[in-house]
Parts: sequence; C-alpha cells; structure tokens
Amino acid sequence: MALLEATGVTVRFGGLTALDDASISVEAGQVTGMIGPNGAGKTTFFNVMTGLQDTTTGRVVLDGRDITRLSVHRRARRGIARTFQRIEVFDQLSVLDNVLVAAEMRRRWDRSGPQPREEAMACLERVGITQIADLSVAALPTGSARLVELARTLATRPRLLLLDEPSSGLNGSETQAMADLLRNLTEDGLAVLLVEHDMSFVMGLCHRINVLSFGEMIASGTPTEVQSDPSVQSAYLGTDHGAVR
Amino acid sequence: MKLSPANYAAIALTVAGAIALSALNWSGRPVSVATVGSMLVVGVTLGSIYAVSASGLVVVYTTTGVFNFAQGAMGMYWAFVYWELRFNRNWPAPIAIGLVVLVMAPLGGVVLDRLVMRRLRGTPLVLQLMVTVGLMLGFMGLAATQWKGDRGRNAQPFFGRTGGFELLGVNVTWHRFTTICVAVLLAVLLRLLLHRSRIGVAMRAVVDSRSLTSLTGANPEIISGLAWALGSSLAAVAGILIAPESGLVVELLTLVVVDAFAAAAVGRLRSFPLTFLGAMVLGIGQQFIRSFLDFPGGFSNADRALPTILLFVVVLALPQAKLHIRGTAAAASTRIRRITPLSDAALGGLALIVVIVSWSGGLVPFVDEWTGTGVNRGVTMMITAIIMLSLVPLTGWAGQVNFAPLAFAGFGAVMFLKVAGDSGQAWGLVMAALLTAPVGALMALPAVRLQGLYLALASMAFARGFELLFFTQSSVIDSGAGERIASLHFAGWQLDGRGRGYLIFLTIVFAAGVVGLIALKRSRYGRRWMAIHDSEAAAATLGISLVETKVIVFGISAAIAGFGGALFGIQQATLNPSQFTLLLGLPIVLLLVVGGVAYPAAALFGGVNTILFIVIKERLGWSWLSALEILGPGLMAVAMVVNTRGAVTDMGRAFSPLLPWRHDARDQFRLEHATEREDEVGELGLGRPFTRDHVNDLDRQLGIVDLIPASRPTESRGGL
Repeated sequence: MALLEATGVTVRFGGLTALDDASISVEAGQVTGMIGPNGAGKTTFFNVMTGLQDTTTGRVVLDGRDITRLSVHRRARRGIARTFQRIEVFDQLSVLDNVLVAAEMRRRWDRSGPQPREEAMACLERVGITQIADLSVAALPTGSARLVELARTLATRPRLLLLDEPSSGLNGSETQAMADLLRNLTEDGLAVLLVEHDMSFVMGLCHRINVLSFGEMIASGTPTEVQSDPSVQSAYLGTDHGAVR
Repeated sequence: MKLSPANYAAIALTVAGAIALSALNWSGRPVSVATVGSMLVVGVTLGSIYAVSASGLVVVYTTTGVFNFAQGAMGMYWAFVYWELRFNRNWPAPIAIGLVVLVMAPLGGVVLDRLVMRRLRGTPLVLQLMVTVGLMLGFMGLAATQWKGDRGRNAQPFFGRTGGFELLGVNVTWHRFTTICVAVLLAVLLRLLLHRSRIGVAMRAVVDSRSLTSLTGANPEIISGLAWALGSSLAAVAGILIAPESGLVVELLTLVVVDAFAAAAVGRLRSFPLTFLGAMVLGIGQQFIRSFLDFPGGFSNADRALPTILLFVVVLALPQAKLHIRGTAAAASTRIRRITPLSDAALGGLALIVVIVSWSGGLVPFVDEWTGTGVNRGVTMMITAIIMLSLVPLTGWAGQVNFAPLAFAGFGAVMFLKVAGDSGQAWGLVMAALLTAPVGALMALPAVRLQGLYLALASMAFARGFELLFFTQSSVIDSGAGERIASLHFAGWQLDGRGRGYLIFLTIVFAAGVVGLIALKRSRYGRRWMAIHDSEAAAATLGISLVETKVIVFGISAAIAGFGGALFGIQQATLNPSQFTLLLGLPIVLLLVVGGVAYPAAALFGGVNTILFIVIKERLGWSWLSALEILGPGLMAVAMVVNTRGAVTDMGRAFSPLLPWRHDARDQFRLEHATEREDEVGELGLGRPFTRDHVNDLDRQLGIVDLIPASRPTESRGGL
C-alpha cells in the first residue's frame, strides 16, 4: 500500500475546473514526479494534499488514514511537509530561526531526537547551508532560499515531502546537489513528490512520473513509459487532440 | 456569494437573538400605521445617508483597493465647509452645495490621491490602515481647528423644518424626501457608471490588474484620481444630508458616517445592492429601536451600537479567509534585521530609568519648570507607552491589527477597581492583567477567521461595542457613586498616582516590560509569531496551529494592555466611560506605528509624542493649535507614506556609531559576500573550464532539453 493515496480529487473554482477526478499514489522510499504544462493544476494538487485547498470531491489517504478533512497543521503533524513554488520563507527570521521554528514545533508531537537547536543545525548541514545560518533570509538569493525552505521541511521529520519546483532558481551544480540530496532522503525511507519543469532533472531522478494536463491525470508510469506515451507528447506539443477533451 | 451552513446558522441565530431582544425590551408604545410609518420615514432617511456614505467607500475600495477609514471624517469636514458657506456666510444653498459637492470635495479627493493614496500602492496593509486612520484624525483635527468649540452650530434642513407632505398620515418633510430621492438617484447613477460606462468598467478592472488595464488604453492614474474624487463627493453629500439631523459636532458627525462601514461590510465592500440593503437594515433597525424598544440604563446606547453589532456579525459571518500563498517577493527588504540582544534591552531600560529619575528629581534644568504637572505628564507618558507595548508583539511581530487596545486597557482598569480598588494592593495589577487576557483571547476568535482589513474592522467594532455597551453599565463603572481607586501599595511604599514615586515605579515596569518582550521575541513563541506574520500558509504546513498561536498572542497583548489600564486607573483615581472610547484609542495605535510597531522602543517614542503634543499646545498657547493632540498623530501617520520604516529605526541608525557592540556592518559585509558567491556561476568560460553542469545549465537556458522540447510548450496552447 502506498504511503499517500489521493483518489478522485476534483476542485472547482466557480466555473473553472482546476482538478478533474485526478488520482495519484506516492510510495515511501521513492521519488515520484508530477509534470504537466503550466496551469495544469499541479500546485492546486499540492494545496489539496496539504489542506490549503478544500476539495469538491475526492479523498486523500495518508498511510491508510483518511486525512481529507484534516486542517493544514494536523496534516503536517502526521508527516506531510511541503515547499512552495514562490518561496515562502519567514522574512523576519534568520536562516537558522526559520528551521528552528519548525524543529521546535515538531517536538510538540514527537519528543524524540536531539534538542531543536541541534536538530535545526543538522538540517542546515544536510542541505549544505550552515555557513549562512545567522543571515536574514529576506536578502538571500532564490537558490539559497529554496534550500532554507527544504531544510525547514526536514526539521518537521516528514514522511512525505512535497516539493514545488525544487530546482528552479538553482544553477547546474546546485541542481545536481539537490538531486543527490533527494536520492539520499528517499534512501532513508522518505517519500518525495515533486513538481518540476526541468525534464532532465525529473527523468533522471524519479521512479515514477504522473502527467497532469488541464486538471486530468493523463498518464502515469516509469520515466520511459511516460516519455513514449502519445497522450503526453500531445499534451506537451499540442499536435493531437486525442488527449484533450 | 456562497454561504456555508455555518454562515446560515449564524444569520439565523442573529435574527432569533434580535427578535428575542426586541420582545424582552418592548416598550409597549402603540403600534399603529402612524408610528410604524414615521419609524419607516426616519429609518429610510437615515438608511439613505448610510447608503450614500457607504457607496463612497465601495467606489474607492473597488477601484483602488484602499479602504478609506477617513470616509466619515471627510463627510464631516465637507459638512462643516457647507455650513460655513451656507449659514455662516449666508450664501444661497445651490451655490454652496454645488461648490462643496462638485468642486471642493472632488478636488480634495484628487489632491489626496496625488499626495497620499498613490504612494500606498503595494505597501503593507498595516501601513494603508494607519494612513487612512491618520487621515481620519487629521480631518477631525482640522475641523476642530477651523471651527473651534461646540457652539451649537446648526444646519437648517432643506426647505425648512416644517412643511412636506402627508403619506399614510405621516408627515414627510421635504428634507427627508430629498434625502431619500438623492440616495436612490445616486444608487442608479453609480450602478450605470460602474456597469454601463466605459470608464466605469475600467474602474472596476483597475483593481484586479493595474498593468493589464493600462494595456487596454485606460490610464490607471486618472481612474484612481476619479475614484477618490467620486468618493470624496459622496462623503460630502452624506455629510451635508446628515448635518441638519444630527447637528455639527466633529466626533458625532464622524462617527455617524463611520457607522456606514457596517453597511459596506454587508456588501463585502464590493456589491452596491447589498450595501444598500445593509444601509436600510441599519437605518430602519436603529429607528425601530428608538421607536419601539426601551433598553434598561446601561444599554440605552443600543441604537447607536447597532451598526457596531451588525459589523461584528457580518464580519464573523463572512466565509473564512483562505490562507494566502503570496510568495516572499512581496516583502522586498534586503536589510538585515537583528533581534536585539537582551543585554542591549536591559541597558536601554537602565538608561531610561536613570533619565526619568533625574528628570523627575529636578536635576535636568530645562524641564525643571514643568515639575508639578510635569511629573503627572510623565506618568501619562509611561502609562501610554505601557499600553502601546501591548501592540508590539501582537501587531509588530504577529501581524495582527488591533484598534482596540484602549478597550482592553479599560477592562483592566475596571478589573483593578473591582479587585483592589479600595486597597490599591499591587497584586491587583497582576489580577487585572490575568483577567483581561481572556478578553483578548475572545478577540482572537475573529482573528482566527479573518485577515488584514476585516480584522481591523472587527477590532474597531469590538472597541466601539465596549465603549457603547460595556463601560456604560453602572455595574461596570458607576460614575455617580464616586468610586475611587486608592494609591498604589507596593512593597511597603504608598505611591500616589500623580507623584514622582509612581513615575519611577512605572518607568521600572516599562523597562522590565521591554526586556521581557525582547526575551519573548527571542523565544520559540516569538519565532512562531513572526512565522505566522510572514506566511500563515507556510507556518501551518509546519504544524503550527494558527488558532492556538493567535489566541496566545492576543491573550498576552490584552494582559499587557489590561495591566497598563489598571495603572491608568490608579493615576486617574476615578473611572468614567469616556476615558476608553474608540477615538481615544486610535492615536495610541497610530503613534506606535509611526515609531515602528515591531520595536518596543517605539512605545517610548509614542508615549513621548503623546504628551509632547499636549505640552507644545499648552506652552505655545496658540489658539490655532487647539486640536493638536488629534491633528498631530493624524498627520504623523499620514506622513508614513514617505517614511515607512518607523521613526525609531532611523533614530537607531543615527545613534549606532555610538554603540560599537552592534554588528550591523559586519552582517552587511557577510551578506554581500554571500551574494557574490552566488553570482560567480554566471560568468562561464572565462578562465574556467566548462563542466557537464555548465553545459546542462546552458542547455536549459537555451531551451534544449534532450527529451521534450522545453520551449515551454504551454505557450503554444494558449489559444485552446
């Protein structure tokens, strides 16, 4: 049984259907990718899974428990963490404090592990930004701010990590480092679901890929399966009307 | 508007409550065609005025995105100008009205837009709120300066006091008939303007996307000027229509039009039909209370409190705000903000104590001559500063706007009176703080559901509700009974509420408060507050409960304000309801924000300024400065459009060379260094070999990705 199962998720904003009966499953210890053209509903799907967006219909099940109606912070306490496409760091806080606030919070529902401050430092070290620990995040370049966000999610000790475009704003070597880090994390048993536009990053890293187009999940499979899927090619290239209603 | 079952339940509960209250307080006056008819005539007239004023708010809000708290004060001001021309200088009515409504008010609106409102675009909401509230006080101060004292100025109704026509046995005066006609006419015209005319459609478009609108050929600058002109004119119409009914009194006129906020809130600040419905409910409801209900003593303000109650209910019945994912780009500050070390705070506190002790001891020659009243001024300053401290964690750190600090302070004062009023024992202060904390937590309930503007409105309604319905109860403050609060008994001393000992005690309390707050800011609570301020969505996804966090910060804030209020009670010795009004609370909020709401030092700045205006006024004795204590804070708040940082940061920077242990410069260096490292990668090829990474990077930049053309295929689908 997959760690996360979202089934039949539909979200309507007035007349616009952002997600239409979309389903996804995410396995522990794997990197799962979600790709799709802009406006396909990827970020909305993330919002549904984290509770920031109510669903019109559909269920989200984490580790066998239905969490569809749980509030955002309760889902976080069950192990869902995420980053944001447009970075959401806490501007008033330093890099270390951004992570510390998460580490302190985590101890509310799980008292194991080191003291929050040590844990926060460990998270910074894991993503490789200890040298900027006491800088204010407000002034950081995008790449570093993304790493702060990632370190912050790690401090909650998630079981499922949702990453919204983790490589955007990173340069080549940083992207490589990010891929290595994510591989490391999954080896520890973490489930990663990421939305990404960088195809070489996605294809090289993900075990499974789901393709979302106009709110519908049009394909799902290994990278090679997805690449050869005609409906995916038509969704991206717009050559054929077969995949689009 | 989509309402949830909970919203319907809230509405049903409110209606049921209203019916029950009406039944319980029925006056027994006869219900006949005549009485109901006259209730309706007066009620609809009043509703019409609310409608005109509220539609001014809606026009400005839908077009510029700024909620104009000064709408009421502007109406009041233009009503005074009209009175001046029409009755003081005896100009003919059409000329006076034409000049005010069609020339002066629109011009005033355009000038405001040019000088102030345009600069508010894209600024934090707190700043927008403070500037328009500052403008409200500014207009009040200006009117009080120009037309001094309440000299029973009256505006005659149009077409005389008597006359009119009979409708169902009720006499409808021409003035009321005119009022209703004007409101209906304006409603129709506004609807046509905004939905049928080209410029109106552009006006509605501009708030959604300024840049897109300008692409269509409309000029957003002209449109926003137009909206302010229109809003100002509508305020003038409302003011001129209400003045003959209510008399020309600055506070009264301003507040009457402030009541129109409730009507606009019914329309969710956007819908004209709903705004009109809200206005009529208000007008008729108020007149219904006056005609048929008799509330016992403490609730005799029920009619005036109705708009407040409606506002509170409407705001609570609003669908819950979504957590915004806004992207951090919104806050474009590149400055390093270091949290003050505890040692710095303690040192500052000690310095303050030394200064106050020597000043109040007459050791500073220049201010020596003020001693006497001077010490009491110092007491006022310190108490104000302590009450201001309550907003530092709440608004400064957690980002929760609150216009009701004085309501909390008043509650604290009342609690002190009840628990330790006769003895003046110091533990009563702690009790007052503890008892006020739950009231703050109560205020947090709307805060959990609301964000930004609606929270500000809810807190105003809260303050006004306390003013009209709570402090007026004889069981709360019995002004007639002459209850006195004894001087403070503390550790064997007896400190008179106006004496030097009390001043020094307050200074120590303030200094300890600052150190305590800084310690809180550096604790996990402070971090959590700043986290929800910066991004509620991100905070929630880390497992932070917004409800719990807000309840705690509101509780702490209320406790501090309640403590300050108890200290105020000791200074005043007697309490009366007029000490804790909404209007008196506004300068407290404004001056703190002018100082820089995130810094405890700003509370001292605010306290100093509070008494400074009074002292300047007294020392100079110039009659044109008679309203300086309102005008001053108002204008200072408006001036924040130029300097948004807060005064104490600038002062701090000016003095920082004197404080070598502050490390701002070193941080700045490290920051620049960090950015440099980031930039290196951009310069490829020069003396550095291409690696596989660089090639990948270039591929990505050029859109050459091995699998699927990454030339963002979505764009080619734009037409689908």
